[in-house]
Amino acid sequence: MSRETETMNCEQYREAISAEPAFDGGTEHLSACVDCQTFRTEIRALDVRIESALLVDVPELKMPELPDIETVAASDNVVPLASRRSFSKPVWLALAATVLLAALIGIRLPDFGTSYASLEEQVLAHVDREPGAFRVTSTPVSESRLAKAVPAHIAALNHDVGMITYAQSCSINGYPVPHLVIQGERGPITILLMPNESVSEARTFEGENVHGVILPVGSGSIAIIGNREEQLDRVTKKMLDSVNWST
Amino acid sequence: MNGSNAVSSRRRRFDQIVAVFHQDMYRYAAWLCRDKSVAEDVVQEALLRAWKSLDALRDEAAAKQWLLTIVRREIARHYERRRLETVDIDNLTASQSAMLAEAPNEELSDLRESIYELDSDYREPLVLQVIMGYSTNEIAELLGLKQGAVLTRLHRARLQLKENVADEMCS
Repeated sequence: MSRETETMNCEQYREAISAEPAFDGGTEHLSACVDCQTFRTEIRALDVRIESALLVDVPELKMPELPDIETVAASDNVVPLASRRSFSKPVWLALAATVLLAALIGIRLPDFGTSYASLEEQVLAHVDREPGAFRVTSTPVSESRLAKAVPAHIAALNHDVGMITYAQSCSINGYPVPHLVIQGERGPITILLMPNESVSEARTFEGENVHGVILPVGSGSIAIIGNREEQLDRVTKKMLDSVNWST
Repeated sequence: MNGSNAVSSRRRRFDQIVAVFHQDMYRYAAWLCRDKSVAEDVVQEALLRAWKSLDALRDEAAAKQWLLTIVRREIARHYERRRLETVDIDNLTASQSAMLAEAPNEELSDLRESIYELDSDYREPLVLQVIMGYSTNEIAELLGLKQGAVLTRLHRARLQLKENVADEMCS
């Protein structure tokens, strides 16, 4: 046990032992308190019975019919979001010209220096650049990683948003943008929290195999992008309920 | 490795993981759903999803948490579809009451009923700690809570069960 417990009183000790019956701290208090010794014995005895009660009979394993790998690869659940999307020809030409110009004058384009026709284009381009975010996984990110990606001075996020499987601190137009991914019905759903990007109304957009929406939230906005088949309404509502800007 | 070997190797890996963790998956589902039939359906769905996304599991040591997370998501999906949110202990369906009926003695049956009636916020961390062997830190990570919140829930769960057991003995 890592918690320091030598100065515990009865209440603290009982809270600790009933939260973790294996708790072995608080020895100084315990040696002097007969009531807490009794409490510990009772809790540990109770826990043995709780374990027996929880061990319900398990029916024989019935393995479902498992599709072959080729079918799996084509199924909705494992197809990641398309990491490529279509730019229109003029946009490609504009981008190519920008890169060429940058090369000619010998500078490396920083992210916020690239010009985009719209915030939607910029959001899609940003999503394209982080293929690691498209991994289908059931493993949530740790609290510490989430806290780094969504620092308290940018936004507060409650857990109603769902299981977050990717969290990274990114930037758009030079401003920090927490980049999150949750797992949707049709693959990963990307969420960009943009406290400094104001939009006057919800704006929907589409890329190759993906669609998304940029929602006005206070003085900023939130972009949500998912597979074209994904229903984003539920995520949208959850995000609106879950995010509060700190500034 | 040719295609056929890769397929059989994948299937072997899956079977090994499932053999080890199937009981945990079922019991976790059963105590979250409080319904044997629903738990069986959920586990079937979870196995299917696990098979489909097996390649996302990089580290075998994380298999248990990975599977339980899939089960948890399946339960959320199930209840989202069915909207079965509350259980009236005096009016259980056959498959709900089956969970309670199989206790080997009356004392255990009473305790099982008390656990069954616990709020899911308390029941879930208790199941994870007692029969899944999770640390409070691991529970916090799985449930997206702070460790302090998990400790509080476990403390309250046991106090409630302790009181119920005492009441049963008095009555």
